[in-house]
Amino acid sequence: MVENRPILTFLTHAVLILGVLFLCFPVWMALVASTHGPAALSHSPIPMWFGDQAWENYSQLLVGGLPEAGGVPIGSMMFNSLVMALVITFGKISISIISAYAIVYFDFPFRMGFFWMIFITLMLPVEVRILPTFDVVVKLGMLNTYAGLTVPLIASATATFLFRQFFLTIPDELVEAARIDRAGPLRFFWDILLPLSRTNIAALFIILFIYGWNQYLWPFLITTDESLYTVVMGIQRMVNSGESLPVWHYIMGTAILAMIPPIVVVVAMQKLFVKGLVESEK
Amino acid sequence: MATLSINSLGKTYPGGITAVSDVNVDIADGEFVVLVGPSGCGKSTILRMIAGLESITKGDLQIDNNRVNHLEPGERDIAMVFQNYALYPHMSVRGNMEYGLKNEGLPKSEIAARIAEAARTLRLEDYLDRKPANLSGGQRQRVAMGRAIVRDPKVFLFDEPLSNLDAKLRTQLRGELKALHKRLQATFVYVTHDQVEAMSLADRIIIMSDGKVEQVGSPMDLYLRPASRFVADFIGSPSMNVMDGTVSPDRRSLRLNGSHQIDFGIELPAAAGTQIAMGIRPEHLHQNTAGETRIELSVAFIEQLGADTVVHGTLTGSQTPLAVRLNGVQARNSGDSIALSCAPEQIHLFDGATGQRLDWEQQ
Repeated sequence: MVENRPILTFLTHAVLILGVLFLCFPVWMALVASTHGPAALSHSPIPMWFGDQAWENYSQLLVGGLPEAGGVPIGSMMFNSLVMALVITFGKISISIISAYAIVYFDFPFRMGFFWMIFITLMLPVEVRILPTFDVVVKLGMLNTYAGLTVPLIASATATFLFRQFFLTIPDELVEAARIDRAGPLRFFWDILLPLSRTNIAALFIILFIYGWNQYLWPFLITTDESLYTVVMGIQRMVNSGESLPVWHYIMGTAILAMIPPIVVVVAMQKLFVKGLVESEK
Repeated sequence: MATLSINSLGKTYPGGITAVSDVNVDIADGEFVVLVGPSGCGKSTILRMIAGLESITKGDLQIDNNRVNHLEPGERDIAMVFQNYALYPHMSVRGNMEYGLKNEGLPKSEIAARIAEAARTLRLEDYLDRKPANLSGGQRQRVAMGRAIVRDPKVFLFDEPLSNLDAKLRTQLRGELKALHKRLQATFVYVTHDQVEAMSLADRIIIMSDGKVEQVGSPMDLYLRPASRFVADFIGSPSMNVMDGTVSPDRRSLRLNGSHQIDFGIELPAAAGTQIAMGIRPEHLHQNTAGETRIELSVAFIEQLGADTVVHGTLTGSQTPLAVRLNGVQARNSGDSIALSCAPEQIHLFDGATGQRLDWEQQ
């Protein structure tokens, strides 16, 4: 239904622009609010244009200890979030690509059984198994460690399934050619399978990084030590700051800062992702 | 360069399906052997067993008198060219060719020299840094051949390498393959379902059906003395006319299904009253203008190929299909009938039950 009438072009653009405005308005509000002082935000009308407190707010957030956020500077929370997101992402990708490799290319007893066992765990996200998992982490002494933050979130049935489906599309002849070319299993994996999976890895990286970055419930349970707080937790703690008024200018600033890394990842990886899609190599 | 010896080779899949049963062939050093047969006849399975990509469930496979049944494909010193090229899509042409050599641990200078040599042979010098995606089908297949050549293997294996190419390119690459074989003097084993490819390339053809070898011989052996009805039917285009009939009581003539009776004047190599089949190639039938008419064709349709005309139809008075190749441009209408004759030595006889060849000399 591709029509070329000016009125329709106008209409479609109007709808799109409206949608964009609708989606971006909260972000705009957060950005504006993070540049005002506390006074401007506590009575209506709330400002719609930038204030003059941007420098003070952000420098206070990044390096100054904020009593409102438990005295932890946002910089260190961002670092914790980054570590957590990256470890989860790399862990998920490497474990799932290896298990998909085993399931697709190696003939071992109960191969399909193992595949289904992995697949069934899709029904058990963190929220469902949170108590037993917490118990295991406690018994392993991993409370208040990066390992406790990340390891329980690393296994990924989704990524394993995606890699499996991709490996199944690689023609058998390619594997056979590699065998004739004296490539052993590890060499085949490293020289052929990994480079061919590049675009899949990029796509998964985007999704998994954001998944890791946005983790809230798990870090909230597993960390009691303030030096391990993540930025998503930080926002929440500032909002529920007990008796005192919420410090909206800091909260919005933190939200803006928390948005930056996922945006950077999407923008950076999307290029590779699209390039991989366009450069079809089959 | 090596000999290849296949002794009672067999392949039975778990589940009891036998793909190949009891194949015996000795392939000489430098020989170009073509395995040919219809789909599912087991020809590719044999090639894959030689390559080591398929396990051998029965018999022996020897390369240069060494039993290689249990060696990995990489250890057998063979190279294989696949139908769909199987080039590594993320590597350049050079990368594709050098991958196997790198894994073998050859020195860099040696690798470079071999690639330069192969690229020159296959006219790929200008494409060495391109990715396979940026090559045409014919170029990709040449890269696949290059990847085989640089390995300098004992045996070259080809699995229907030209089937994905268009007709013109196929003919061209066929010529290049033949020239390549001449230059390398290596042992080639080539699988195809195309009898024209088999006839034009092979020193020796192994023709298979249902996992069994029907006949092994030079292309002209197969054409002139097909060992069975199957071979007769498979080799030659259009394929041989085979007509069933019954041997007369005096064994000197054959009553074909329909009303035809063919008098041979000498005793047929079969008992009176038995069912046998008579085969005549379309190109060996001639229009009979005068004298005895041996068989008559009712025209159904014609194919004009320019150099000659193939007339398809049935044996008059029956449903037995019959075709004849006439020289030059000829016009015939559907329903016409043509009287045809054939030299007696160009008539092949096959046992009605087993399909095996019946030889005149044996009587």
